[in-house]
Order: sequence, then structure tokens, then C-alpha cells
Amino acid sequence: MISESFLSSKTVRLRPVRESDLPHYQGWLADDELRRWIGSVTEQPTIEEEFDWYVSRRQDPDSVLWAIETTEGTLLGNVELRMSVNNLRGEVGIAIFDREYWGQGYGTEALKLVLEYAFGELELNRVELTTDHDNTRAIRSYEKCGFTQEGVLRKHRMIDGVPSDSLILSILREEWQVR
Amino acid sequence: MTVADDIRLEGDVVRLRMRKESDLPKFVRWYNDPEVRHWLHMSEAPEQTLDGERQRWELTRGDPTRLSFVIETTEGVPIGQVGLVAIDEAHRRAELGISIGEKAYWGRGFGTDALRVILRFAFETLDLHRIELITDADNDRGIRAYEKAGFKHEGLLRGKRQRYKQPIDMLLMSVVRPDVDA
Repeated sequence: MISESFLSSKTVRLRPVRESDLPHYQGWLADDELRRWIGSVTEQPTIEEEFDWYVSRRQDPDSVLWAIETTEGTLLGNVELRMSVNNLRGEVGIAIFDREYWGQGYGTEALKLVLEYAFGELELNRVELTTDHDNTRAIRSYEKCGFTQEGVLRKHRMIDGVPSDSLILSILREEWQVR
Repeated sequence: MTVADDIRLEGDVVRLRMRKESDLPKFVRWYNDPEVRHWLHMSEAPEQTLDGERQRWELTRGDPTRLSFVIETTEGVPIGQVGLVAIDEAHRRAELGISIGEKAYWGRGFGTDALRVILRFAFETLDLHRIELITDADNDRGIRAYEKAGFKHEGLLRGKRQRYKQPIDMLLMSVVRPDVDA
């Protein structure tokens, strides 16, 4: 579903993704380096494919999707929480699409808002994510939020034709609460 | 990747054939057996019903990211299921799930043989690089079979699922095709 919740901190806001965001996402996804880190997108999608993605997310009851923007309303990226409700578990995928805003803590702030929602509102027990083993900027951000590395997924992704390892990280409810 | 509609795979003590609609009542019986269900990832969900399984069957048939097999003894007795899901052609990987629903066949090497057969198929025919699975960290019998088939431990996933409303740890394991692992 497209989240109806608005979440905000001092520097960042999460709001429902709107159809008018799609051309921005689609345009940013022309960037090879961005797609390399995102992982699920091998080629730049067409605007129709981007719309299909939006509709599929909107229809999926186990997924919550937000747009990430600055407090001034500049669109930066998006974040998705996929849930296994029976197992009180969520999996996060987050991306700051606009390079101008990389490395400034927007992703970390957005992720903290999602964790607060996941453990508070949704009462999940575990939130996990996977990332490329060499995505040091992202890993640093996840660790700042309290994530712990649990394992290495060997040859998990093909990147430019080369099998590459991923990491799995997680944070448990009690770890979030003691922060 | 094109996969024929009808795949039959032969092992030493088992053979695998693709799941048919007429197998669904068997699956419902297996999945709802408390001793079998105990280890299933979906054990916290409401019990299987034939209608529900039929709906899932309709929704997922023809889905190129999944392949579901019935494990039979060489005499043709259906004893369980093994399948690949999340088959990802771009990243050359899939997730594996297996269960022996007929408890009389537990601990006798049928599962291990079925694992060997499906791994060979995944690597040689589907040309995948990596097959992964997660299992309850206290599933000793399962873990032993996975190790025998070549699975390596990759991590302990804390509180990964709920069992009887309690969080339990699960083990992440995988086999990487030898030539890719080099």
C-alpha cells in the first residue's frame, strides 16, 4: 500500500508517494551508479514500467511505501517496508535517488522514522535488510540506526556480470527501544 | 530460461515430478500435520484449506519465478515436496523449500537425495549460481541434511520468525556453484 502516514523529523519528511513523483524516480534511474546500488533495477525503467511498479506497490497489502523529501518539500527518494505480519518482521529498502543529497544523513533520518513506525505503530519484532558488501556508505548509515550484521550472502548478486556478496543486517525491537 | 512444462528428475532413492492440481489435498494434509507444520515458515498463518491451496495454485501456476515438485520414492509413493521460489535469472539465484510430509520417511535420507537432485537441476539446467534457504536454528535433522547436500552456514537471523507466538532464530544457509565460488 501507499502509506497514508506522514512522518517527520528535523531534516526529513516521509509522505505518500504520488503519481507526480514517478517521472522524477524514472529520470534518476538513468544513473548507472544509482542502479548498481539499488540492485533490483538493472535498466532504466520506462515511465510505463515505473507506473506499473507504483500500482503493484499500491495493491500490495504487505508493503508500505513512502516518498522521502526534505522539510522544504524537495523529493529525494523513497523507502519501502515489506512485512511478514505473522512473523512480526519487516524488510526495508531505502534509496536517496538525488546524488546532491548523498552522504548528508537524509537516509539515516528517514530510516529512523521508518523504524519508529515499524516498532511503535506496527509493533514488529525484527526489521532486516540486505545490501552490497561494499556499500560502505549505506552500511555506516544502517549501523548508525542500530542495525547489526548477521551474515554474508555469498555471490548473491550479479553486478556488471560479476557475482558479488551481500550482507544481511537486522535490528530487533528491544535494541531499538533501548536507544 | 525456458523450462519445459513437465520436468522429471531422478535421484538414487527419490524422483521428482512437477506438482499437479490433484496433489493439492495431499499438500493440505501434510502442511496441517502439527509435527510437519512445526518446522514450516508459515506455521503461524491460519491452517491450510483446500480452497486456499487451490487459490494459491491458480495465482502461482505459470509463475516463472517458482517451480514446485513432488518428491516420490522410486516406487512412486509421494512423500513430500521441494521447490524453488524467487528464481532470479538476473542474479542467478533462488530460494529453496523442502518438507517431507509422510513422517514414516523422516530420517532415512530421502530429503537429502531430493536436495542433491534439485541442486543439480538448479545449477546444471537452470544455470543458477546460488541456492539459499532459511531454517529454524533448532531444526537439527534438517540442518544435517542441508549440510550433507553441501549447504554452508552464512548467518544466524535473530528472531526471524514467530513459532507459537514466540520469536525464534533461523539459520541462513546456501550452496554456491563450485565454479562460481572459486
